[in-house]
Amino acid sequence: MKIMLLYGTETGNAEMLAEDIMAELEGEHEVECRNLSDFGPAEFDARRLHMIVCSTYGDGELPASAQPFAEALKAAAPSLSDIHFAIFGLGDSEYEETFNFGSKGLAELLVSYGAVQVGERVTHDASGSDMAEDLAFPWAAGIVALAEQKIGEAV
Amino acid sequence: MSRAVAIVGSGPSGCYLAQALLKADPQLRVDILDRLPVPYGLVRYGVAADHQGTKAVIRQFERLFERQGACFVGNVVVGEDVTLDELRQAYDAVVLAAGLSGDRALGIPGEHLEGVHRAGYLTRALYEHPDAEPLPQLGRHVVIMGNGNVAIDLLRLLAKTPGELAGSDLGPVPTDWLAGSGVETIDIIGRSPAADAKFDAVMIKELAKLEGVTIEVVGAGVSDDDEGAKKIAALDAIHGHKTGSRRVTFRFGLTPVRLEGKDGRVGEAVFQDANGGTMSLPCSAFITAIGFEAAAGLPRDELVGCAAELELGVLADGLYATGWFRRGPRGTIPDNRADAQLLAARILADLEASDTGLEKPGRHAFPQWTAAVCYDDWKRIDAAETASPPQDRCRVKIPSREAMLALARQTKEPDL
Repeated sequence: MKIMLLYGTETGNAEMLAEDIMAELEGEHEVECRNLSDFGPAEFDARRLHMIVCSTYGDGELPASAQPFAEALKAAAPSLSDIHFAIFGLGDSEYEETFNFGSKGLAELLVSYGAVQVGERVTHDASGSDMAEDLAFPWAAGIVALAEQKIGEAV
Repeated sequence: MSRAVAIVGSGPSGCYLAQALLKADPQLRVDILDRLPVPYGLVRYGVAADHQGTKAVIRQFERLFERQGACFVGNVVVGEDVTLDELRQAYDAVVLAAGLSGDRALGIPGEHLEGVHRAGYLTRALYEHPDAEPLPQLGRHVVIMGNGNVAIDLLRLLAKTPGELAGSDLGPVPTDWLAGSGVETIDIIGRSPAADAKFDAVMIKELAKLEGVTIEVVGAGVSDDDEGAKKIAALDAIHGHKTGSRRVTFRFGLTPVRLEGKDGRVGEAVFQDANGGTMSLPCSAFITAIGFEAAAGLPRDELVGCAAELELGVLADGLYATGWFRRGPRGTIPDNRADAQLLAARILADLEASDTGLEKPGRHAFPQWTAAVCYDDWKRIDAAETASPPQDRCRVKIPSREAMLALARQTKEPDL
């Protein structure tokens, strides 16, 4: 299937994970990987699955590279009702009050414009003992399986 | 023909620069030099021991050496083992990313009394930097001067109970030192009003988890500014937090005037408030956390002073600077990433424009670096540190240079 893999990053950790997910998926799927800072709301495509990897920064804010995208989305206020997305979050439970608020906020924003979320948002904790890819690879495989049904039905 | 770049310093700014360079041009030969036998600079020795999540960027930097082809050249001191001019001869570009490791001085009378400590000196000792001096006795009443994130790190570590350090990489000696410190009060003083404090609000919020303290915030004030209001809200939220007897007090708008002591030891800190009034605090230790400056070694002032384009990080033809070394001791890890990405683009453009067709030797010009530590050597040190830490620690750092070098050389043939 066609996958647009997007990442919102501040320190580069989400970018690295997105690259790893791409390497994992591109054998069987047509994957394009892009920084959210280089992606505009008009580029959403109903025939693709949009997989997003997004961190959290500062006081539960979106990471720097996702901020211009969120602003552009709010300004355009598009209808995304035929758009499918899935999201994986990176956070640090040391800051428990705002843990993974970046991915949470971005998912809520997309849903508020009608986008259809595929599967559950899965999050990684930088202060935990799991490696991000050990959570993200099974997540990605599961999401692709789910999306193959959904997007097939939709188009 | 591939071009050779030397980066001096393997902290975040140096590693991010190498990452950006090699992403754009995988053919580059990038050597990252460090004066220590171990890489990652302040990620290892400056990010607090209980902020392991922040240290996760190390996984990116490992990839730099393991997959992107960067070469670690540790235990080589520019200015001792090699001169800057020699490096510039051997490489197409040299980038200074050595950070700022000197503590700024406060410049008030009494600063040299016993019991007055600088933050970098203390954090190096806490995080077991091989050049650290022994941890001092603090006594019962500690005053921390400064309101940056380093000041908050020190406050948090001094305030934590031993159980709260689980999961950290704080070593056995600093752990015992903290557990036995006997600190009863910690006053943390900002020169500016709370709204203008340099700490991040999230660092203050984190203090609400402390398990053995009573926190009081004196005079946080109000602010119209968003950022200022955030900081004040965070302070208001921890005011009155009461989980134990160690008292933590935040005070603002106080300028230190002098330190007074008896028998050469600090006993009292005297401040002036915004209205010109005087107030004083008894203290057995006075810690200054007011920023960093260049340490001895590279002549930073001279280099930066006559920089061709300092804003872009261009010091001279083929000589660059990034991170704190370029812009001063401000900004966090991602700021250095942004800085590095801009500079990488500039260096690549300069390399393109200056192609003479002659291949520079890079590190091969220096056969005398026989004591250099490479990345595989470091991985042996790393493996030893993480092999069997105590249950509540993720790593036990090897604190001495000699022990690091012994591990590094374990399987090395002579004169390889």
